[in-house]
Amino acid sequence: MNEHDEQMKDLLRRAVPPIDNVSDAARDLWPVMLRRMDEHALRGPRAVPWFDWALGGALLAFAAVAPRTIPVILYYL
Amino acid sequence: MNTHPYLRAFMAGTLVPTLVLPLLLVAFLVLRVGLQVTFPIERGLIFPMALVPAIWGLWNILWELTRDRTHLPVGVHGAFLPLLLVPAGAVIATQGGVLTLGANSITWFNAVTVPYALIAVFLAVGMTAYYLAWKYVVGFVNRLLGIA
Repeated sequence: MNEHDEQMKDLLRRAVPPIDNVSDAARDLWPVMLRRMDEHALRGPRAVPWFDWALGGALLAFAAVAPRTIPVILYYL
Repeated sequence: MNTHPYLRAFMAGTLVPTLVLPLLLVAFLVLRVGLQVTFPIERGLIFPMALVPAIWGLWNILWELTRDRTHLPVGVHGAFLPLLLVPAGAVIATQGGVLTLGANSITWFNAVTVPYALIAVFLAVGMTAYYLAWKYVVGFVNRLLGIA
């Protein structure tokens, strides 16, 4: 094995960390998911633009005016 | 989390229709078993139970595939889905006898009659519902699963 090979081995060792050093906590995605859910919940309804409130209101108004169309809407969900 | 983005996109897309399925089943049981409605409602369950969840999942995969080029927000992308689903659902419902095509109107489940002139309104309502569902529910699950 020449000097070039040794250098390459050394570079590879430094670039790829040993698998044993990867802790279990780094692979547990549930805390990350919980944090994201909390962040989303904290923003709350104030983050919803007025346009979307208007669209939601229009949908509710349509369902109130024509309640018989609700099964047809559900058919497409 | 860069592994299997399309699988995660599919799962995120199928969530909303999967949550609606129990509601449909309850409605079916109440109407068919409880109220003894004679109309064969089960024929109308094929489309929402078998096809819609998979189509939502595939539509979300399409968004994941194309968003770098189109830059479409997920809500707008989802709002286009009724343009595909409404005719497809109508064809399947017609074949199943759930939808009857009349001279001036269509009749759903032998109960809901929609004049042809109002189909555009109905489509707009569907697109609005889809826009909100995709923007807030599918978008939320996409962010949760690390897609968006």
